[in-house]
Amino acid sequence: MDVSMLQRTYSDLLTSLFREGILNQQFTELQQLQDENNPGFVFEVVSLFFEDSGRLINELISNFNQQAVDYKKIDAYVHQLKGSSASIGAEKIRSVCQTFREYYDKNDIQGCYNCIQPLNQEFVTFKSKLEALFTLEQQIVAAGGSIPMMRH
Amino acid sequence: MASSQVVKVLIVDDDNITRRIYRTMLFRFCFEITEVEDGNNAIQQFLDGNEYDLVLMDKHMPNMDGVEATRTLRGMGIPVKIVAITDDANSKDTFLGAGADKFLLKPLTFPMLTDILKSFNFLN
Repeated sequence: MDVSMLQRTYSDLLTSLFREGILNQQFTELQQLQDENNPGFVFEVVSLFFEDSGRLINELISNFNQQAVDYKKIDAYVHQLKGSSASIGAEKIRSVCQTFREYYDKNDIQGCYNCIQPLNQEFVTFKSKLEALFTLEQQIVAAGGSIPMMRH
Repeated sequence: MASSQVVKVLIVDDDNITRRIYRTMLFRFCFEITEVEDGNNAIQQFLDGNEYDLVLMDKHMPNMDGVEATRTLRGMGIPVKIVAITDDANSKDTFLGAGADKFLLKPLTFPMLTDILKSFNFLN
């Protein structure tokens, strides 16, 4: 695939991520922080997110499967996940975390529980799509091209 | 201002992703940056004799939250500029009452940070 085709594929994928609400404006803010002094900044931050959030979600699922569920601990995990997803523009993940916290504030345990599977699913989707985006970035750079910026 | 000419910033947030983003933003201004994960460690920085011009303070942190850390710093007579940055919109009055100079809602953007730095005259 030539560079211009790769760039078009990249732009189309990025546009779809915003259109589907998987990413929000905060992701663009991160892209704008990436420069020659920090060439891998977005990849680094999102990779940190994959690692931290994957661990948090596993802890959440594990906690919910125990006989005595520690809801305070679960709320702390979700709070952390909400914060980090908001920081990188992972809108759908942030939104599910927000819904979870609303249920938690109302002591609606079933509502909280019902958020876990969607949260995991949104994370899996997010990870898969962002990994595809980064793969395209690598291919564009390897082919001598530059990464198209999303304009709002 | 702290005794050297370089602006010294203390980032207080338990999320390493947030700290990484703030660090990258502040790096553009060539500021000197220190990071800690909770209010206790923030207090300890000052007890150790470190001086800062600006503190970016999260609210929800283990060991000591941002409101308590702010209140403690003011109680110690520390005049550093404290900017509360949190997703807890309801904590604005509490934070300002504890002695924070400004209150911002997360996520922090580069324009928001620039405006704050200008308001404190940290940008020449």
